[in-house]
Amino acid sequence: MAEPKFEPRIVAFLCRWCAGAGADLAGTSRLRYPPNAIPIRVNCSGRVELEWVMEAFRSGADGVFIGGCHPGDCHYVSGNYKTRRRVHLLRRMLGELGIEPERVRLEWVSATEGAKFARVMGKFVEEMRALGPRKDKAVATAGLVAVRKG
Amino acid sequence: MAGKPRIAVYWTGGCGGCDVSFLELGTPLLDVLAKIEIAFWPALVDAKRTDLESLPPRSLAASLINGTLRTDENVEMARLLREKSQLVIAFGACAHLGGVPGLANLSSREEFLRRTYGNGFHPAPPPGGRAEDSPPDLLPRAKPLSEEVSVDCVLPGCPPPPELIGLVFDAFLSGDPPPAGHVFAHEKALCEECPRTREDRRLAKLVRPHELLPDPEECLLDQGMVCMGPVTRGGCGAACPKGAMPCTGCLGPTPNAGDPGLAMVSALASLVRVGEEGEAAFAAEDQVLDSLVDPLGTFYKYSLPSYVRTGKRSDG
Repeated sequence: MAEPKFEPRIVAFLCRWCAGAGADLAGTSRLRYPPNAIPIRVNCSGRVELEWVMEAFRSGADGVFIGGCHPGDCHYVSGNYKTRRRVHLLRRMLGELGIEPERVRLEWVSATEGAKFARVMGKFVEEMRALGPRKDKAVATAGLVAVRKG
Repeated sequence: MAGKPRIAVYWTGGCGGCDVSFLELGTPLLDVLAKIEIAFWPALVDAKRTDLESLPPRSLAASLINGTLRTDENVEMARLLREKSQLVIAFGACAHLGGVPGLANLSSREEFLRRTYGNGFHPAPPPGGRAEDSPPDLLPRAKPLSEEVSVDCVLPGCPPPPELIGLVFDAFLSGDPPPAGHVFAHEKALCEECPRTREDRRLAKLVRPHELLPDPEECLLDQGMVCMGPVTRGGCGAACPKGAMPCTGCLGPTPNAGDPGLAMVSALASLVRVGEEGEAAFAAEDQVLDSLVDPLGTFYKYSLPSYVRTGKRSDG
């Protein structure tokens, strides 16, 4: 039997005002893009907690995609800016943990950019496919219970 | 059992600072010592492992164990003390979360042995098996106490502040043991008890402690120091910020903060701002964030083994 081809599994956090609406538009416009991402709609990219990103990696995701509004367009004024800075710092830490920083991708997608959503998602999946499966054995974790009871 | 409660104090992979920290109690320590009997405390009394082994199970009222678990002998001793004790108290940041020695988990055991002892070092048993007096084997990674034995309560800190040590003895001697899993520190963040004032909530640059003599009144974070106060438990009276040093997180994260590293990234990311927020400032903001030296070592200084499973750190 041939070696099964590696298909990256992606978790995509999409803000409901821009990237999520853009993804919907891509769908209703019947644009084709790879089906590797599991979309999770959040109210704002600023709502994406880094623990969720790490949880995705812990659960076996090969890449995490965060879609937010273009600079200046955040429905909550500055959520996307905070996310951008968070992701920047997180990427540095991921590198030290043996997870390629490229596995976290932040993109600005507006509600009218269905085509852009399909394009950037396609590109991300392609890059993750080229990067191959994760090489780190384990993952930065959160939530180890500090005191075990009983 | 009549008589004074018997206790054990033991160190695993620690520095000895926790043992010394008892002295910080000052004269109240004499009252405490009058009310207990020390059955086993390698730093203080001459009792051997065989003495401990000869005790009946649960005959010790409490064992206070400090240090990270780093060798197989550490684990054996922790299990032995668990068997002989009614209460096991994780004493200090190492036993609580892994501590500073836990930062070694960023390298593999082989890598840091090579780095310390050179290329000639082979962590192999001597010819013919294990010599009677060969050193204990290093575990593949450092672990907090709770990964090997059940821990009844935690006294955090590096070392634990005297006022919290006092609380442990009060609870213990009152005959009313603390609830299971209790951590002898506040649930609220250190900032709540820090006397410094927060005003200008934006960070245009990061400074390391040796680069700045901070204003005595103003919040250290506001002055650009990476202070872990927002994500760290209070209970020490903000001793470090009062002394013009940023909190490094030794009491461990608050229950709300969860993973201290990720929580601190979020806190810093919210505060770092250069000029008007927006696309034009992105490069400058990244420069500020990049000026942070060693994010993992800063954010997980005392807690790496508890929150970061394995790491692969490239040199440089």
